[in-house]
Parts: sequence; C-alpha cells; structure tokens
Amino acid sequence: MRLSPQGRGIGAAALFMSLGLVLSACGNGDTGGEGDLTAPGPEVLDDLDEAVQVEFWHSMDAANGQVLDQLIDDFNAENEGRIEVTGSFQGEYDDALANHRAAIQQGDTAELIMIFDLGTQFMIDSGQTVPAQSFIDEDGYDTGDIEDALLNYFTVDDELRSFPFNNSTPLMYINRDAFEEAGLDPDDPPSDLASIREAAEELTVTDDDGEIVQYGFGAPLYGWYIEQFMARAAAPYCDGANGRSDRATEVLFDGPEGVELVEWWEAMIEDDLALQIGRNVDDGMAAFTSGRAAMTLESTGALSNYIEASDFEVGAGYFPLIGADDPGGSIIGGASLWINGEGHTDEEVRGSWEFVQYLLTPEAQSTWHAGTGYLAVNTEGYGGPEAVERAEEFPQFELAAEQLAESEVNENTAGCMMGVMSEARAAAEEGWEATLTSDATPEEAMSEAADRVGGTIEEYNASVDE
Amino acid sequence: MPEPTSTRPGPGPSERGGPHGRPRHSRERSREARLAWAFLAPSVLVFAVFLVYPLGRTVYLSMHGNDIIGEPNRFVGLSHFAEMASPAYMQVLVTTLLFTLGVVVPGVVGALAVVLLLEGVIRGQKFFRGAFALPFAFSVASASVVFVVFFSPGNSVLNGVLYRLGLDQVPWLTSQEIALWSVCITTVWMNLGYGVLVLAAGIGSIQREINEAARIDGATGPRLAWNVTVPLLGPQLFFLIVISTINALQSFGQIHILTMGGPVGSTTTLVYSVYQDAFAFGTSDFGRASAQALVLLVVVLVCTAIQFGVIERKVHYS
Repeated sequence: MRLSPQGRGIGAAALFMSLGLVLSACGNGDTGGEGDLTAPGPEVLDDLDEAVQVEFWHSMDAANGQVLDQLIDDFNAENEGRIEVTGSFQGEYDDALANHRAAIQQGDTAELIMIFDLGTQFMIDSGQTVPAQSFIDEDGYDTGDIEDALLNYFTVDDELRSFPFNNSTPLMYINRDAFEEAGLDPDDPPSDLASIREAAEELTVTDDDGEIVQYGFGAPLYGWYIEQFMARAAAPYCDGANGRSDRATEVLFDGPEGVELVEWWEAMIEDDLALQIGRNVDDGMAAFTSGRAAMTLESTGALSNYIEASDFEVGAGYFPLIGADDPGGSIIGGASLWINGEGHTDEEVRGSWEFVQYLLTPEAQSTWHAGTGYLAVNTEGYGGPEAVERAEEFPQFELAAEQLAESEVNENTAGCMMGVMSEARAAAEEGWEATLTSDATPEEAMSEAADRVGGTIEEYNASVDE
Repeated sequence: MPEPTSTRPGPGPSERGGPHGRPRHSRERSREARLAWAFLAPSVLVFAVFLVYPLGRTVYLSMHGNDIIGEPNRFVGLSHFAEMASPAYMQVLVTTLLFTLGVVVPGVVGALAVVLLLEGVIRGQKFFRGAFALPFAFSVASASVVFVVFFSPGNSVLNGVLYRLGLDQVPWLTSQEIALWSVCITTVWMNLGYGVLVLAAGIGSIQREINEAARIDGATGPRLAWNVTVPLLGPQLFFLIVISTINALQSFGQIHILTMGGPVGSTTTLVYSVYQDAFAFGTSDFGRASAQALVLLVVVLVCTAIQFGVIERKVHYS
C-alpha cells in the first residue's frame, strides 16, 4: 500500500480516526445491570387500542420451523386484536445468541427469544429479562404438569429463569437389521461401555480382503455426550455443585469418568471396532444411516430424520452408562424461552407471557412433540391425539420421555451452569479429539483442555464482576 | 488494494504539488485547494467510513477487554498482542503459512498447466477453457458442501472409490496431518477457475507474430511454452500470485464447513482464529479477535510487499 507523502492527507486521516474513536466511545449505552424486572399483571392488556406486537426470535427452521409457525398462527387467531406474535428465524443457536447480543448493544431486543441451554448463564448475567419465576408468582401459575427435569435444569438460585420449550435428551441408536444378522437381540441394546464393546465385536464386519465394511460403533465427538456420560455417572461437570451453588471456577471433565470414556473410545478406534467420525454431528448421521456404523449416539429430536434416511430398521436404547453400576440420569439439551423486560412496555411483556402460556398447554405441546420430536414440556402433552398417534407409529419415540422420567433430579442431572459453557464443550471435544489424533494420552489431553477452560472461566467471571 | 503502478511512473496529474508548481497568487491557490478538496470529499468520506474508521476501531478494540455483551470496558494495553507470543498461536501462523503455500503454488501451477495444455488443443478449446473456468462460478459454500460429501468421515465418496480400487481408506478430515491438505485441495479446485480465466485472457493477448517468430526459429512444444509464452504471461502470473495469496490468507468458508478448524486446531488459520474468538463460542472476545485481525493485516502487507519486491522485478511488461 502506498501512502500519500502529503502530511495533510495523514492529518485528515488521523482526524477521522480520532473522530471514530470518539463516536465509538459514545456508543456505549447502559447495557448491563441486574435490574429489578418483574412481571406485570393481566390487567395491562385491558382496554388496548390496538394489538400488542410481540416479536419472537427463534432457531427453528425446516420442519420444526413449520410446526412453530403453525402454533404462532393458531395463537394469533385466538387473540386477534389483542396480541400479535411475529416469528423470526435467527439462524442456529449460536447465531441467535450473537444476534441477541448485538441487539442488546443497540438497545433493540425482541420481546421474546429462544436461547439454547449453554447461553443460560449469559442471559442471567446480562440482566435483560424478566425471570420466569416472576410470572409464575404473579399469576399463581401451576407448574405441576411441567416436566420436573426441565424445571430443574432452568432453575438457578431457586428461581426459574426461563421457560423450557424445545428440549431433548440423547439416545443410543442401533441398526436393528445389523443386530439380527450378528445374532444380537435388537430389543436389548447394550447399555454401558463394556457391553457396547462386546456387541461391537460381533457387529464389525470385514470383507474378504480384510477391509472393514461395517463398524460396530461410530459417534461424533460431541461435547454434549461427555456431559451426559458424566451426569449418568453421578459426577459433576464443574465445581460449585455444577455451578448451581457457587459460580463455577473449573471444569471436571478431566476426572476419572471423562478419562475412562475417552480411553475406551480410543481403544475402540484402535481395535477397529469404531469409526473415527470427527466432531460434525451430520457425519455421525451419515455414518449410521449409510450402514457404516451399526450403533451411534444422537438426540431424540433426530429420530424421525434417522428413520427416514435409513433403508434398514432403526432401533433405539437409553443413552449408555460408563460403568454398568452407574446410577443413570439425563441432562436436558435444547433451548428455553426468555422474555425481555429491559426496554419493553408492560403490555409487550405481558403479551409475551400470554403466548408462552399458550405454548405450554397440553394441546400445543402435543402438536409440538409429535411434529418435531422434542420432549413434551407439559407432560400432559403426551396424551394429546397427535402425540399418541406418533408414539404408535414409532414406539422408540417414548424412550426419551421414559429415560428422562427415570432420571433422579439432582445437581448432576441439572447440568453445569456457567458463562463459558460453549467454550468448555469445545475444549472437551478438543481434548477428546487430541487423544484420538495424536500421541497424547487421555489424561494429558483432557487435563490440558480443562486447564485451558479454567483460564477462560476466570476471565469471564472477572468481566461479569466488573 | 496495491496497484502495480511503480514500474510505470507516468506523469501524474498536475495538482500533485511537485517542484514545478510555481508560487502563484495565494488567493488563486487557496481557491484551487478548496476546489480540490471538494472533488476529493466524496472519496475521502467513503475511505474514512469504510477503511479508516474500521481500522481505527480495530486498533481501539485490540487494546481493550470486553464485557459479556462485547462492549469494550477496560484498557488492557498490548496484552492481547503479548498473549499471541505463545506456541499455540505460532501453530496458527504456521498453519496459515502452510495453507497459503498449499493453495497458491498448486493453484497457479495448475492453472498455468491447464492453459498451456489447452493451447495445443485446436478443436473445442473454448469449451475446455469454459469447463475449467467453471469452478469460478461456484460459491465457496456450495463448493465446500460438495467436498464434504467427498471427504465426510461418515460416508466418504472418495473413500468409496478408493475401496473399489482396492486402496486404503484415507481419514480426509479426521487426521491432524491430512485435514489441512484436504482443505487445500478444495480451495485449489475453487480457485482454479479464476486462474484459468486470467491466464487464458493473458495468452489471448500475446501477439501472434511473437509465436510465429519463435516457431520459425525452431522453438516448439515445451520450449516454446517455457521460453516464450510463460515470460509473456508474467504480468498475469504475478497478478494471480498476489491475488491468490491474499485470498488464501483470508479463506474462511471452506475451513468452517469442512473442518471447523479441527481436528484439534490443525486447520485453524489466522482468519478462523479471529472468527473463533469473536463469534464462535458466544464469548464476543472482540479485543483478542481485533488484535489477531491486525496481525493478519500485517501478514498480508508483508506478503504483498515481498511479492512486489521480489517477484515483480522479474516480470516483463511488454
């Protein structure tokens, strides 16, 4: 780049630059601050001149998005002239959170937003929303029918912070045809690491030249699974009782449970019983549905996709345990709904809450569960006509609800709560992957990854305290 | 964007304020200056808004820490830069360098080979040129998705072909040693079209007489190509090298779609590292990302300067 030799040009540039700095410095509105946001009563919606507009940011596209749009339309029809909800797809969970963050900066948040589980601590720390508990207390809303495990997951400091909505747990998927060919019982899939290995020995098929044509097992390196395995082994993922009693300061995935899992995984691949898939979940699906891997791990929400994409019979079992004697239990995945209070009128806040109440009805939940595969947040939803029909079609589908119902509700199954959960998950994946792709031992790789997260947690906590 | 004007220092506009400008009446001069600024104002404004301000903002952000929303809230001086003096970050630089070499060298050589070989094709030359230039029309995203199908660890099409040929399976995206080269292959394929387009245009502009003269002197085939055609393609080759280097340094889409920087950071280049800090994990660490972006700027400047200093001297402008 050739700079103009003229001093004047540089002077002008410097002027503009400093102008930019001044402008950007002015851009910092008041953004943080834990406000005392409380829920308004139903009376604010009396005597409206025109319908209250509620913008709803979500991350549901394709088939799931259509089901959600249907629910929105039904609600709007019921509330004509009173509340009008407009759905707005904001990209994947990560993107939606980034968009929301930008909206906070600009003081222009949507009334209602869907934020994934890992964003929970951030949502609390950014202090923009009205706690869900406040609506429940104001209205005396009965949460008796809402799934306990979900309430548990989104409760922090004894307060429900957001409303569970699109939630799932992972399962183990099996190729029933392959099980039968190998002489295994597809109705009794393996339930812990040792028995998966035994089954994989039977399920791995080589051709005449010794090339493997079917692996017994193959699942993507998805950090969510480590969280699940640890919860099922009754091990906390981070300190401070999973961040529920105190702010977490370190992650514990380098403990004996995490190391045992990664060690097992490495041996499976080295012994040619499992396919190394990498971190992409789509690749996991491709490996399973194409018949390359006979067992895999994936969310319940993927069941209908799996059934559709496979030309063999798909079976499912509970997500496995590390050791056969582990107590079990599942952590929730997925997202919840947050009602923004900062910068919104009482009417808008109340209107959002009315819509959320509608989404939590058994009728809406029956439609939602049957159409998407997500859990019915309101357990009465499983009894709805659509949900019943769905369960008849795919009996495997009831597994997710059963698995969750059998989970003990405690801090381990509540999952770790901290502001840098996304990074922790990515670091766990890296440690896991490093074991499989380099000479690093599981202990080294996992503890190095955990140490790295420690530094990030420290930074986050410092930036929140300020 | 630097332009290769240095070799042709033709007479500039008279208002450059050189030694020829005689002191005239000062009023007239100031009027001229005002007029000059009036004409310059639109471009200065655009330049300021889209180049100077973002650059200034990046410098500002690079010296600050963020709150959780991404607003700068504390001055940290040069500590983001100091953090980069770590082995992990050196790894990112090495990866960036390897990736750039792995893209630029095969890309330029490949495009040159295609164009030279097509010179010998009389029938259907246009068709083949068009066919080879076609990848240029693909967006990065769609081309990457196609290569995901080839490389997917779950069910790789390429491995299927290798299996039928009785060859070993290749862990295209799941090996730390191989993944980077898989991304390079994808990028080379995507860039090939543009290279062919540029070089084919260059070869078309070579005067027929030069080729004929060379032929009469007895030059044929490889010798004609290497001693006559390639030197005459100098300006286009140089342009292609500079542009594809900058493109390679800024590559993002194919890395994001194919490997997401993995396995274990083995395909994390500078740009991808910037993305990860700023956007990937919901951390909004714009400070660290900005510091890295400035490093990237310096890397691009240095590479381009070296290319202008070293290669351009050998370029023959006819």
